[in-house]
Amino acid sequence: MKADITGIGWITAAGVGRGRNHHGFALPAGRLPDYTPEKFFTEPYPNLRRMDAYSRLGVTAIALTLEDAGLDTWTEKRDIGMVVATVYGCLGADVDFYNTVIPNHGAQARPAVFSYTSANSFLGEAAIRFGLTGTNYAVAEQHPTGLAGLLAALGHLAAGDDQKIIGGVCDVGCPEIFGWPDKFPPGAVFFMLEPVGTNPRPSFGTLHSTSPGQLLFDGSPLDDLAVLVDQCLSNQAS
Amino acid sequence: MNMIRSKSKNELRQTIVTEAVAVTALGSNLEDLWYKLMQKETAIKPIKRFPVDREHYRSRIAAIIDDLRPSQGRSLLIDLLDRLMDQMGPVPADAILVAATLKSGIDNLESECRGKPTGFQDIRLASLADNLGARLGLKGNGTCISASCASSAIALARGAALIESGQAEAVLVCCADIVSEYAFSGFSSLKALAPDPCRPFDRNRQGLSLGEGAAALLLMSNTRAEHEGRARLGTVCGWGITNDANHITAPVRGGAGLARAVNKALTSARKKPDEIAAVCAHGTGTVYNDRMELDAFKQVFHKRRLPIFSVKGAIGHTLGAAGGIETALGLKVLATNTAPPTIGFVNPEDGAQGLVSADQQAIAGDFLLTTNSGFGGINAALVLGR
Repeated sequence: MKADITGIGWITAAGVGRGRNHHGFALPAGRLPDYTPEKFFTEPYPNLRRMDAYSRLGVTAIALTLEDAGLDTWTEKRDIGMVVATVYGCLGADVDFYNTVIPNHGAQARPAVFSYTSANSFLGEAAIRFGLTGTNYAVAEQHPTGLAGLLAALGHLAAGDDQKIIGGVCDVGCPEIFGWPDKFPPGAVFFMLEPVGTNPRPSFGTLHSTSPGQLLFDGSPLDDLAVLVDQCLSNQAS
Repeated sequence: MNMIRSKSKNELRQTIVTEAVAVTALGSNLEDLWYKLMQKETAIKPIKRFPVDREHYRSRIAAIIDDLRPSQGRSLLIDLLDRLMDQMGPVPADAILVAATLKSGIDNLESECRGKPTGFQDIRLASLADNLGARLGLKGNGTCISASCASSAIALARGAALIESGQAEAVLVCCADIVSEYAFSGFSSLKALAPDPCRPFDRNRQGLSLGEGAAALLLMSNTRAEHEGRARLGTVCGWGITNDANHITAPVRGGAGLARAVNKALTSARKKPDEIAAVCAHGTGTVYNDRMELDAFKQVFHKRRLPIFSVKGAIGHTLGAAGGIETALGLKVLATNTAPPTIGFVNPEDGAQGLVSADQQAIAGDFLLTTNSGFGGINAALVLGR
């Protein structure tokens, strides 16, 4: 089970970037930058304004990833999948929605907010925007490593479920109402995975898995998402 | 590219379902559920769990487990899991846990929003895996899949893929969702709830009825199952997952996305449409979903008349748990050669005549198709075998 990494896109507290135009990456704790999502889309994208912060973050990072892989333009829908690992998912939208339910016992419940209360909703938005018709879902780990999305994506690619697939993480932090300390840095990082040698663009390296929970990058064991990005950027520079 | 599916079938490992348990409002276990389903009973009735006597609610009903109770500030999900896992036999310590839910312990989020702190432990998406992993003493890092109403169908696909690829010998797939004011208000705000018990594939259907439930299915490789002398309830032969890429909450008209998922599942299972004996449809009772499904099935099966059924008129729409519960029931269908009645089905929607029935239907064949679709444009299809 092997795949080339052909594109990377991210938005973290350290900044916004993609693999082929950046040489530095970090996934620190802290606030996400005040990025303007609209500027990452070549055509007007009014849906962005309707989305919750988690969805906006995820869709924008996926846009960066597709651009990095040279797959951002399309005329026909494509068999490209997406798997996102998340800790908090759409909890922010959940709180926002239920706060529209409480007054007047649901009479003011807002369907536009409810639409984004599934952890996979933003993948649907990305699917619509970029014509991606493959496998897509959100996955949460008991012990978050940030790698579950990549592992699952690699599995689907190997099983022949999808021709290409995006895997990564997306989180905007825990809503303050829960008073739960943020143990996981906010941000979205996605990788485009393709069968080895199928994208004319140079690969950032090869991802490989031989057992559940075990990822290898260019043959070396991997247990940290940030390290993977660093190694990809290092490969690109050399 | 197609590394696994390029192998010949006899090189592949089979995914055997060795145990299946379920809890729903219609039955405290799978046998009870199956019996009542065949007796044409429904669990959909007036809601008492939260106030629904408001004029803005078009519906006041759901399939709720009456005596489900929260304990010590924990979510109702915990009581549901207690009832589910009490039925479950031994789970191998090396089993990989793949849980599935749409909203996890959403009742505790409701409490938090109302200023009644309950703690965060049942609210996180991974909490279902946390709870099950701790109960069962599983060693691995369990995951929880969330993909709207296709969550557990996708979890089963993921579990089967882990086994077929040789990455796992045993996988426990467990799914659960509860009826909450949160979900009720949400679907109500989308005008998706039916005022009367839902009527899948009926011309006069008016929407869905919510339900709650849970299921657990133990998957094993054929060699491991044989070695341990486990029961063989059936097999997960193939799967297909697609996105409509069309609308965030509504299915694509014409059913192209679901048809693609079904065709992927058939390809994955190496089966032809003619080999499918019956279809356990998502069949929510919403105008658009049921129309979309009939159109999709017509694209795959053409004019062939095979039994199509939905169980949601009996147990409601159990959201992320739907695919798991329906797979457990699907194995009963294959074991008994009988498709259950579609409760609430009276006047056939165009294209449902001769396919969907208010009565049980005999089936002939060894393979069953199950389908689920949901928010975000997701579609999932599984091919189950004997």
